[in-house]
Amino acid sequence: MKRFALFTVKIIALLVLVSVLLDVLYTAVYLQSNSRNKIDYLYNSKDKNYDVVFLGSSRVNNHFVPKIFNDKGYKTFNFGITRSRLEESALMLKLMMERHYKIKNLILQVDLNINTNDHSEAIRSLFMPYLHQSETIRKYYSNIPEYNELLYIPFYRYMHYDAKIGFREMYFSLVHKRTNNLDNDGFHPLTKDERPMVAADLSKYYPKKNIAYEEIKAICKKNNINLIALTTPMCMSTINRDYFNHIREVYPEIHNFENAVTDDKYFATCGHMNEKGAIAFTKIVFDAFFKPKSNP
Amino acid sequence: MFFNSFHFAAFLPIVFILYWFVGHKSKINQNYILILASYYFYSCWDWRFLFLLVFSTLLDYLSAIQIEKSTTPKARKFWLWLCVFINVGFLGIFKYYNFFATSFSELLQSFGFNSSPLLLKVILPVGISFYTFHGLSYIIDIYYKRIYAEKNFVDYSLFVSYFPLLVAGPIERATHLLPQLKRRRKFNFDKAKEGVYQIIWGLVKKVVIADTCANYTNAIFDQYQSMNSLSLILGAVYFAFQIYGDFSGYSDIALGTSKLFGIDLLKNFNYPYFSRDIAEFWRKWHISLTTWFRDYLYIPLGGSKGSKWMKVRNTFIIFLVSGFWHGASWTFIAWGLINALYFIPLLLLNRNRRNLEDFTLGFNVESIRTIFNILLTFSITCFAWIFFRARTISDAFQYIKRLFENQVFTEQYFSIERYNHEIIALLLVFVLVEWNNRTKIEPISGKYSWLKLGLCLAAIVALGVFSDYKEFIYFQF
Repeated sequence: MKRFALFTVKIIALLVLVSVLLDVLYTAVYLQSNSRNKIDYLYNSKDKNYDVVFLGSSRVNNHFVPKIFNDKGYKTFNFGITRSRLEESALMLKLMMERHYKIKNLILQVDLNINTNDHSEAIRSLFMPYLHQSETIRKYYSNIPEYNELLYIPFYRYMHYDAKIGFREMYFSLVHKRTNNLDNDGFHPLTKDERPMVAADLSKYYPKKNIAYEEIKAICKKNNINLIALTTPMCMSTINRDYFNHIREVYPEIHNFENAVTDDKYFATCGHMNEKGAIAFTKIVFDAFFKPKSNP
Repeated sequence: MFFNSFHFAAFLPIVFILYWFVGHKSKINQNYILILASYYFYSCWDWRFLFLLVFSTLLDYLSAIQIEKSTTPKARKFWLWLCVFINVGFLGIFKYYNFFATSFSELLQSFGFNSSPLLLKVILPVGISFYTFHGLSYIIDIYYKRIYAEKNFVDYSLFVSYFPLLVAGPIERATHLLPQLKRRRKFNFDKAKEGVYQIIWGLVKKVVIADTCANYTNAIFDQYQSMNSLSLILGAVYFAFQIYGDFSGYSDIALGTSKLFGIDLLKNFNYPYFSRDIAEFWRKWHISLTTWFRDYLYIPLGGSKGSKWMKVRNTFIIFLVSGFWHGASWTFIAWGLINALYFIPLLLLNRNRRNLEDFTLGFNVESIRTIFNILLTFSITCFAWIFFRARTISDAFQYIKRLFENQVFTEQYFSIERYNHEIIALLLVFVLVEWNNRTKIEPISGKYSWLKLGLCLAAIVALGVFSDYKEFIYFQF
């Protein structure tokens, strides 16, 4: 039995060793990668100056065309990430501050995402490679239930989120395989239109005070960032469009742009505009809040 | 509690320590500890099903004693059939009642009668097919006087409910397992070490091979209408690896776990995908079930004795029953039927007992023929797996129709955001490892065992699927 106890201890030691080595390897790979997604790009950049930054979900990622702003003299980047919620947007903004970004204006999408204080597991996973390096990320996630396991068990974070930051993603990061996430300064146009378009149903949505939004407001105030919170368009057949009026009841400072683009030809799906719609919408937003610095 | 869960990773060492440090002085203590552990293990699914397990155990235990006590053949037969009837009855109610009720109702509707079947809203108790077959083999062996009835209820209960085999086999025989439970087990380092290696290799098969393949299989089978011929062919191949990795991985973990307690279980898989014909495949796939059907159904029906017609009939019966054992669905019956159709020509040409010996490959024509036969057997097996995996029988036919009609062989990008080629390399490495170790129980032992162990652990940790948990396929049977 002594031999077996020793054998078992050796196996456990080997498992720990393998886990530590893999953890070090994966983290090293992710720390040198800046072309796979907007979070690795953000983490591996520093001291950036932006006139305008966009934050939000796919309804930012697919709706705001930075080129329109850039052409008019505003250095702009679209940091919207499909499936992200306000919790992740708040962390991204904090991370920008940690990386010494200087931002003059933040355009934040606050519409459907204000309905929940929950997080996106898929997007949360993308922050995990930097858990040991970034105090901001550590602090931000210190209250989640699996925090200790993620922080202290070697390689646990890569196992827990294996679909997003597992071997496959590590390999692609290692060989610097580019994605299109960072093309067009972060804007991802939708080119295929769903027809017939299925109406979105907002009858189960109800806007409420959102912790992450409050956090974003506080960060902006502290860092002198002009926060422009706005809703973005949805097709006219959306059920319960009254939802958008309720948003203003909760947060009167939020600008209503849900009716800025209405024609179905501008929509890829009911909740997402196509490229033409995105261009039209971005111009409307620009004209509403900015003036050209330079002639195109 | 699944074998690949953290719950089991905590449960196993506790039972191991209690077994070898608290209960090691007597067989009685050892058996009590294993019984309690097994009942706890089973209750983790649903404690209410414990009553069913205990009832089934008690029924078989008492019936066996009654059969042995009976002095007339009529009385022996009475107790046998009573026990078989109740056991099969439970299985029928939980597993097959809704299927028969729905099928009968559909049949009536096809004749123009309106009927709405009375369906039962019950969950299938996990492992019921396995422990029912355990009990039946015991009762039949007693009836045929192959063994004596077990008088010790604790020993018999452990035979039925021993946790490594309780929920998905291997289906043990009283002649093999009971004698081991009747004596005190002494710790054997080599056996325990072999058990640990087998557990680790089983985990590789499950979390690395089976669960990775499952992602691809699901993506293809769930959207087969939009898949091209290449993807549909690969879908069947992925499922072949998924079910093999899943079930043989489970069996490896079960056998390995049992070795930690000094108990050997029956081998369930013997590298079936390296079979040279379908008969050899069935000698190497789910061996404990195949031999069960052979001993308790095929041979009593006359086996391969008698006329050709009798042989064909018996073959069809065991394959259809084997398919039906897997689940109450026409897809499983079709799967059994197809395998019977593969088997019949070998039987009629007296070729079903060929390929009994091991083989080696060299640079000669015979080797080419062997490789061709292996690939052919694997291909037809994959074809049959389509029926096993498809949701309905019409889905299976549509899948096959599209496979042959589409004729597009380009690589597709799946909804799981993966390409086909990403998994092929993994499967090739797996096949190579299995091929090189096909004479061994697992590939870790031998030269450089620590290096191989390290690689296996690294594979589990780095390549395993953990975020999208998939339970063992055979738990549903």
